[in-house]
Amino acid sequence: MKKIIFITFLIIVFLASSVTLAAEKTKVQFWHAMGGWRIELLQEMVNNFMALNPDIEVEVQYTGSYGDTINKLNVAVQSKVAPHVVQGYDIATQMLIDGEVGLVMQDLIDADPTFDIGAFMPQVLNYYRVNGKLYCMPFNSSNAIMFYNKTLFEKAGLDPNKPPKTYEELLEYAKKLTTKDDKGNVVQAAVCWSLNCWFFEQFMATQNAPLVDNDNGRTGRPTKAIFNSDAGLKVFTFWNDLTKNGDMINTKLEDWTAARNLFISQKVAMLITSTSDVALMVKSAQENNFELGSAFLPTPADAEAGGVVIGGGSLWIIGGHPKNETDAAWKFVKYMTEAPQQIKWHTGTGYFPVRKDAIEGLLAQGYYSGSPHDLTAILQLLLSTQNYNTNGAIIGAFAEMRSIVASNIEKMLSGSMTPAEALAAAEKAATEAIRNYEGL
Amino acid sequence: MQEDRFPGHKFLPYLLIAPSIAVIIVFLIGPFVQSIRESLFVSTPFGTKTIYVGLRNYVRLFSSPDYRSSVIATFKFSAFVIIGGLSISLAIAQLLNQKIKGVGFYQVALIWTYAISPTVAGVIWASMFAPATGLIPYIVSKLSGGYTLNWMTNGNIALFVVATAATWKMLGYNIIFFLAGLQNVPDEFLEAAQMDGAGSWKAFWRITFPMLSPTTSFLLFVNMLYAFFQVFGLIDIMTRGGPGNATELLVYKLYRDGFIHLNTGFASAQSLVIFLVISVVAIIQLRIVTQKAIYSR
Repeated sequence: MKKIIFITFLIIVFLASSVTLAAEKTKVQFWHAMGGWRIELLQEMVNNFMALNPDIEVEVQYTGSYGDTINKLNVAVQSKVAPHVVQGYDIATQMLIDGEVGLVMQDLIDADPTFDIGAFMPQVLNYYRVNGKLYCMPFNSSNAIMFYNKTLFEKAGLDPNKPPKTYEELLEYAKKLTTKDDKGNVVQAAVCWSLNCWFFEQFMATQNAPLVDNDNGRTGRPTKAIFNSDAGLKVFTFWNDLTKNGDMINTKLEDWTAARNLFISQKVAMLITSTSDVALMVKSAQENNFELGSAFLPTPADAEAGGVVIGGGSLWIIGGHPKNETDAAWKFVKYMTEAPQQIKWHTGTGYFPVRKDAIEGLLAQGYYSGSPHDLTAILQLLLSTQNYNTNGAIIGAFAEMRSIVASNIEKMLSGSMTPAEALAAAEKAATEAIRNYEGL
Repeated sequence: MQEDRFPGHKFLPYLLIAPSIAVIIVFLIGPFVQSIRESLFVSTPFGTKTIYVGLRNYVRLFSSPDYRSSVIATFKFSAFVIIGGLSISLAIAQLLNQKIKGVGFYQVALIWTYAISPTVAGVIWASMFAPATGLIPYIVSKLSGGYTLNWMTNGNIALFVVATAATWKMLGYNIIFFLAGLQNVPDEFLEAAQMDGAGSWKAFWRITFPMLSPTTSFLLFVNMLYAFFQVFGLIDIMTRGGPGNATELLVYKLYRDGFIHLNTGFASAQSLVIFLVISVVAIIQLRIVTQKAIYSR
């Protein structure tokens, strides 16, 4: 009997303490998809926020890849246990809007006079504004960039200060950069990027070409894919030629790490990857004793001027929570996009700041003279033409379209389809996926 | 009858099995019924709209060439893993069942692979076969005079490598059971056969193999489940279904459609088809193999 009284007592004490804790602090759950060293960086930023706001407790959870995070959100929303703030990736924007899971960020922005959206980079806002409204808060933005190994360029007798600008130049350079042994095995390849539809999207935008109709889905819902174009064929052919010549090493689907490792271990001379890797690449080049160069993405010599598309993620405030929690979530989201936090995030990762004043501040400090690769990344974005093709496509079935494009690229690389066949098959299947989604 | 064993407690037996039944209902039957329901609907991600479509998901499934190639890949893969895996394990188990010095060491060395997590196994095999940096492509090119073994661009090789890895991963498990089975075969039988002039090959096929049939039929079943469902981790780590869907087995395709593309209805239809295929195969197996299995000495 004594035992039972004691256990009951313990339970009461436990319950009471948890109740009082809950009463003291407003809890905000934050799900993100930033793996690796970025987990700690985000946690540090969250800790700083909590130190400034002792009445709010932010529970941070790393929920796996972008796709996994959306998938967990899907389950959580339907079982009504959704978190307050979620990092959603670029291509899920339309899907999340259609799912009506988030509060419309624009309403929160309009209701808060202390917040000035005008300080944000127009390029970033252009991506995330759908039907003239912001549904989410831009947070981590990146695009594709080309890194190259200056040391290997010199060894091959190439000018380390003249990275290739066109597909044609890159293929020329590859003749010198790819080395084979006497049996014809590739010892060092010229270039590498992970097998990823994202690069196809970037390569299309740099040629000022759309992916889907209705102005890339920006002036109306898309009804079909239209990337089986001259521009699309150039990308597929380029990719295929590089692979067939042995100039390019391909990875498995979306294996960013493998591509990075090939470049870091100096097995390939050029790497096309996300600008969010800048900090990592600078560090790795130092550790492996080679000089790092960075350049804009190559385009075909006769391509129209285009630009890079914003990639990365944004923060969504999920609806259905009590007002005090939503207010705390808004406070947190606001904090994460303020200039000091954006600077910390930018310099710690390579994602560029989503605010103009953050870039201005860093420029004044002289940061970019010491970080030329961050400058390459930002300049590439700033010098991009701004139109529907470079603002990025808005497609509900984007994730499925990505799988389709990637698997057809793989079929082309394995030689079972020509570039033209693979492109046509991808377009056809993508249109079907779009129709299936839009038919609902 | 129950009253005899639990006098005066009519409901006690039911109460005692209630926890297990509850678990089965919540985790197996509930989701199963839900899958059947969802396979008849199409819904938007996040469930804002759900439309009844009858059997349209199934029609879409069977008219999809991708699905057909996935079925073919799954059967090739399973045949390799089940037949190849069981024959190799049986051969190894037979070797391990000898009275030689240090047999314990060999047993552990061959069995412990089962304890490796699919992730680790996947990484090991993927790095061994990595086209640019792996050991095996290097050896192959040295031996063949320049052949480039690249499974990132060759679907058949990719399927072979993944199947080999899956077989290797399951070897330890199969060996344990075969070894246990072999140790149950009484020596007298084999000695008697020897006396009658049977060679060891003949003794194996006429005595050992039939006596192993309960073990074999059990392992057939377990390996089939393994090849259909549990290889998910290995595929995800090694190929993500690539190149060009060559290793997109049914269970992996289901995952991509359901959890990456968020087409819940379409994925539910796929899960039911897998369930039906497995059930039919299992029933055939239980009918034929188990009837023929020799359970007693």
